[in-house]
Amino acid sequence: MAGKLFKWQYLIIALIAAGLILLPFSGDIYYTSIMVIIAIYSMLTIGLCLLMGYTGQISLGHAAFYGTGAFISAITTAKYGWSPWLAMPVAAISTAAIAYFIGLPIFRLRGNYLAMGTLGMGIIIWVLFNELDQFTGGPSGLPGVPGLSIGGFAFDTDFRYYYLVWGVCAVMLIISYNIIHSRSGRALRAIHGSEAASEAVGINVSQFKIQVFVLSAVFASIAGSLYVHYLAYVSPSPFDFMFSIKLVVMAVIGGLANIWGAVFGAGAVVMIDQHLGTFGELDTILFGLILILVMIFMSHGLIPGIGDLYEKWRTRRAKAQDALSSK
Amino acid sequence: MKDYILSLRNLRKAFGGVVAVADVSLDIEANKIVAVIGPNGAGKTTLFNLITGYYVPTRGEIWFQNKLINSVSAPKRVEMGIARTFQHILLFSHMTVLENVMTGRHSRSHAGFIEAALRLPRFHREEESITLEATRYLNLVGLGQYARQEALSMPYGQQKLIAIARALASEPKLLLLDEPGAGLNTMEKKDLSDLLHRIKELGITVVLVEHDMDMVMKVAEWVIVLDVGRKLAEGTAAQIQRDEKVIAAYLGEDDL
Repeated sequence: MAGKLFKWQYLIIALIAAGLILLPFSGDIYYTSIMVIIAIYSMLTIGLCLLMGYTGQISLGHAAFYGTGAFISAITTAKYGWSPWLAMPVAAISTAAIAYFIGLPIFRLRGNYLAMGTLGMGIIIWVLFNELDQFTGGPSGLPGVPGLSIGGFAFDTDFRYYYLVWGVCAVMLIISYNIIHSRSGRALRAIHGSEAASEAVGINVSQFKIQVFVLSAVFASIAGSLYVHYLAYVSPSPFDFMFSIKLVVMAVIGGLANIWGAVFGAGAVVMIDQHLGTFGELDTILFGLILILVMIFMSHGLIPGIGDLYEKWRTRRAKAQDALSSK
Repeated sequence: MKDYILSLRNLRKAFGGVVAVADVSLDIEANKIVAVIGPNGAGKTTLFNLITGYYVPTRGEIWFQNKLINSVSAPKRVEMGIARTFQHILLFSHMTVLENVMTGRHSRSHAGFIEAALRLPRFHREEESITLEATRYLNLVGLGQYARQEALSMPYGQQKLIAIARALASEPKLLLLDEPGAGLNTMEKKDLSDLLHRIKELGITVVLVEHDMDMVMKVAEWVIVLDVGRKLAEGTAAQIQRDEKVIAAYLGEDDL
């Protein structure tokens, strides 16, 4: 049973990977550019899944790390003329350090209090983006962020950027998968299950919480860097509180403890945004509605939830067939 | 000169005005099965929480293998060789039986995030040995065939055994079991007694909190009686059964 399921998963993953590789060749620039954004959001959601889904620690301020990566990349390249390839790791390491020092006190909090703490963290950092205007350009932002290129090859089209961001996203998926299926991954899941029992097997609970927080912040920072080198422009507005909430919605839709679902969650939210954006605030209402419905009816998330429904339908059909044949 | 693995000196724990453990001194002899008994509220579980580092003592000393461990954190004490189970079992959800026992190997393995992410050869070797050892301890408690089951789907009695296997996987020298027999039927209790003897044969000192006096009398080589946070008596099971103070504590003073 379990073995069969695994083969199915591999087949689905292979099909999706093939689809992703071939998609830009359709020549549809609109969808290619949307897929670039989905890849960037997926990186954020994957990190959030590790933190929320596997370790059971909420963050309502992850847009702050996304923004920190974005601004450090933008400022060092646009204002000081650094190479983006140097700016990106510097941004990631700086964001990691910030996440570490925020993590030390904030993980003394649990549950609702942790939610409040991370929420406050996100808002404070967002205010800094706005107020440190001699660096960040303030609310009007910072133009002139250079694009990425290797040697003479510039990632200057959506077609080229598409492969870059999905490549990075794939690496993050593999890293996350490897961590989940390891001693450290078991420690994270154990902390989710019971902190008392985790300590009883020798797991340093706060250390692992901070580590996974830092890892997710690094993913977010890289996503932020890739975002600004794509747009060539940065302003504080994409990194506000509402975006942190949207990230949580993406993670929930994908099924919190499911890194593959993270990509679907990001995709679903971006698609809804694209198609309902014209109706003003309708998308916010829809996100709220989806969140409520998923929580009530599919507590494992939308994608695994659909899998569960299919499984239910199949067993019911099998039973019905048994009943028929016994007659 | 006896070999003591654990010694408590005037150990005290107060929660505000309530003194849960009141100046308890005792010595646990190495490689023995020791039972801690006492009426509800005697301070047995608090004592366990002090020994394992979950509570900071108000005052007093905890010596483990001739080292003062008062300021050692709970995870570090596991590394030193103190393992425990809980009254409420606390198996990890969304994990198989085997994975639960594998987490027990945490303190005996090292791979961190980076080694896991990169999957270096050393990582594979360690992961293999974790699986192997976990399987060994699962077999020791007799649940090898349920390795791939979801841990929380197992019956209550077997969950208790999984928790013991998880604790054993950290290769403790001292194993503290909080009410391992509670909720088990007669057959399961007999199996548990056998298991305790097998654990002792591994060179592990076992301290258990237990309410079932039949079981205590059968397995415990030494019995310590607590009452309202104080040590009331200690001795062999036979001595304790005849002790008038103990009888009074269990039946109430008025009956004297």
